Amino acid sequence: MIEAKGAESESVTVRIELFGSARLAVGQRQVSLGLPRTASVTEIAGALADAHPELVGKVIREDLSGLIESFTLNLNGNEFVDDGPLRLRAGDSLLLFSSQAGG
Amino acid sequence: MFGYHGKAMMVDLTARTVDWYPLDEDVLRRFIGGTGLGAYLLYKFCPPGVDPLAADNPLIFVTSPLVGSRLTTSSKFAVLAKSPLTGFIGDSLSSSFLATELKKAGCDALVITGKSVSPTLLSIEDGDVDFLDATDLLGLSTSETEDVVKTRLGRITRVACIGPAGERLVRYASIANDGGRQAGRTGPGAVMGSKNLKAIAVRGRAPVPVYEPASLKEIGKDLTRRSLGPATEKYRTLGTMANVAVFNRLGTLPTRNFQQSTFDLAEDVSGEQFVKTHHVKNAHCANCTIGCEHIVATTDNGTSSKGRMEYESAFALGPLVGVGDANAVIRASHLCDELGMDTISAGATIAWAMECFERGILTMKDTEGIDLRFGNSDALLATLGLIAEREGIGDLLADGSRAAANAVGQGSADWAMHVKGLEMPGYEPRSLKTMALGLAVSTRGACHNRSSAYEADFSSRVDRLKADEKRGRITMDGEDFSAVLDSLIWCKFLRKAFDDFYKESAQVYEHITGWSMTADDLRRAGERINNLKKLFNMREGWTRKDDGLPQRVLEQRLTTGMVQGIGLTREELDMMVQSYYGARGWTENGTVPEEKLRELELLDIDAESLDSVFASVQTTPLPE
Repeated sequence: MIEAKGAESESVTVRIELFGSARLAVGQRQVSLGLPRTASVTEIAGALADAHPELVGKVIREDLSGLIESFTLNLNGNEFVDDGPLRLRAGDSLLLFSSQAGG
Repeated sequence: MFGYHGKAMMVDLTARTVDWYPLDEDVLRRFIGGTGLGAYLLYKFCPPGVDPLAADNPLIFVTSPLVGSRLTTSSKFAVLAKSPLTGFIGDSLSSSFLATELKKAGCDALVITGKSVSPTLLSIEDGDVDFLDATDLLGLSTSETEDVVKTRLGRITRVACIGPAGERLVRYASIANDGGRQAGRTGPGAVMGSKNLKAIAVRGRAPVPVYEPASLKEIGKDLTRRSLGPATEKYRTLGTMANVAVFNRLGTLPTRNFQQSTFDLAEDVSGEQFVKTHHVKNAHCANCTIGCEHIVATTDNGTSSKGRMEYESAFALGPLVGVGDANAVIRASHLCDELGMDTISAGATIAWAMECFERGILTMKDTEGIDLRFGNSDALLATLGLIAEREGIGDLLADGSRAAANAVGQGSADWAMHVKGLEMPGYEPRSLKTMALGLAVSTRGACHNRSSAYEADFSSRVDRLKADEKRGRITMDGEDFSAVLDSLIWCKFLRKAFDDFYKESAQVYEHITGWSMTADDLRRAGERINNLKKLFNMREGWTRKDDGLPQRVLEQRLTTGMVQGIGLTREELDMMVQSYYGARGWTENGTVPEEKLRELELLDIDAESLDSVFASVQTTPLPE
């Protein structure tokens, strides 16, 4: 799909679904967050830290460079997010949960 | 010898004799300990074709070179026998001071054969063995049994025992040990019960010397530090119960006997909810710094219950049977521990029965008045009790879902959710395709732990919803990794704390034993151990069709949540299974060729039985 010029700089509102320690820290199952249409994990972590500083040191690295290694992001339940930039659309869900699978 | 004693204690319950079997350096280096050394001993001492509940089926407890080292998570042991549930290799792990006590008693393994004429308490103290009468222990729960034994022999004694389920040969009976920990899967408690062996008490005082204690201490400090870092955060905070809510969101939470993969009451039995409303405290296994155990308690007005809670127990006694009442899940899990039964197989077998009931195949007459519908927690608790006593409907269900479906017929095998007779764990294979392969090919049946194949599915390495030929290699690597982990033995929850698992583990092995070991040596040991397990199964009649998945998984698409419409076809599974056989260097029939055994130094294992294994290979048919 061809996007309108300037669309890259617009922000979109996405839903962050919280699990495990992230949910316990924030006290909510999900929060809304404004993010650039194309966002890196660092940008997502930074925006989330601004909105919920209680996550810093528990889920987000102290230097806000990303998530602590024991957490992972997943887009809409389908795509596990590494470091690369992520193209987001309004209404997307980013799931934030432990990267330690199994048990 | 450092790190090992170089011998196994051989106890014959029939003759009431004790002997010692030497374990030389070559055997110990090749099979390490834990499940690896256990597989070697089982292959050697289990007569081919033996009835798993016959006296000749050996029950084998194995420690490891790490036991006694005081390294974090190192106090673990393996229990092996031919499984009464699968007819193939049965191996289970548990963590407790029983491991250290057994090793301090002077042996690397305890091999129990024969059958006592009367209920027996086997007392082992520093290599001396007494065969004590256990008539007064009959009928006691696992915690009651342990308490009475400790009163009799001293509180410092470590105890492994069976509950009523093991006494009545429930085929998925567990062996409880040292404060309620369980060697749960594949039914070792039934093998113990078949030997009239109610309990084993162990006391040891012999030191277990290591080759380089000073440097090992430094390694231990570093590992302890890492064990308290981000690599184990999930286990310390919520424990494995953290899986419930995430799995539900991802459509991988098996529900109502795998009819759905999401559960509308999942949040009520999630780790996040348990922490808020049921959590009492965290607890640790012996010599463990992680502390993943979460002790939970009921909060309603019913019978008070308290105990450990893990994801697999919560899934099997919650969503799988349609129960969303956290208090009922706690009661059911605790009841299984007290009766001495594997929570997964118990829950899954009852889930099969609930579906039979809702379809009208089992009736109120069969259940003697129990309304065995999904979601009925009272029915769940009542049925667990009947299974352990083999009373009423419980007698049918005590043999597991495969045997029960064979007995009932009427197409109910289509929804008996097992592989090779072992009930499925809490990972929906249709929405976790690597796990699907891991479950299908695992030597002990539907097991998530012997491959940890789910790890790839919960990462960006693969598309979890699509099958492809990469999965064979991934699953093989996961199995070999797990075999090394389970033989050294490290706890799986420590695995992410290593920077280079094989290299660091080889160094630890060298510091303990003084024997050279490289990362490649360990990798090869993992491959060798898995080939040996497969060889055991081939000897016991394995054929290609045993590496499959339940009909429901292959014929019905998922109907709920974000994975609605996702399925797994036979063709997709066969393609992945073939990719696995190819990665292993096995034949397209899935058998181990002689050249692979030569490559892995396995040809000397048992020449006579190998001949019969290869004779059977020639006649193994391809699947239809």
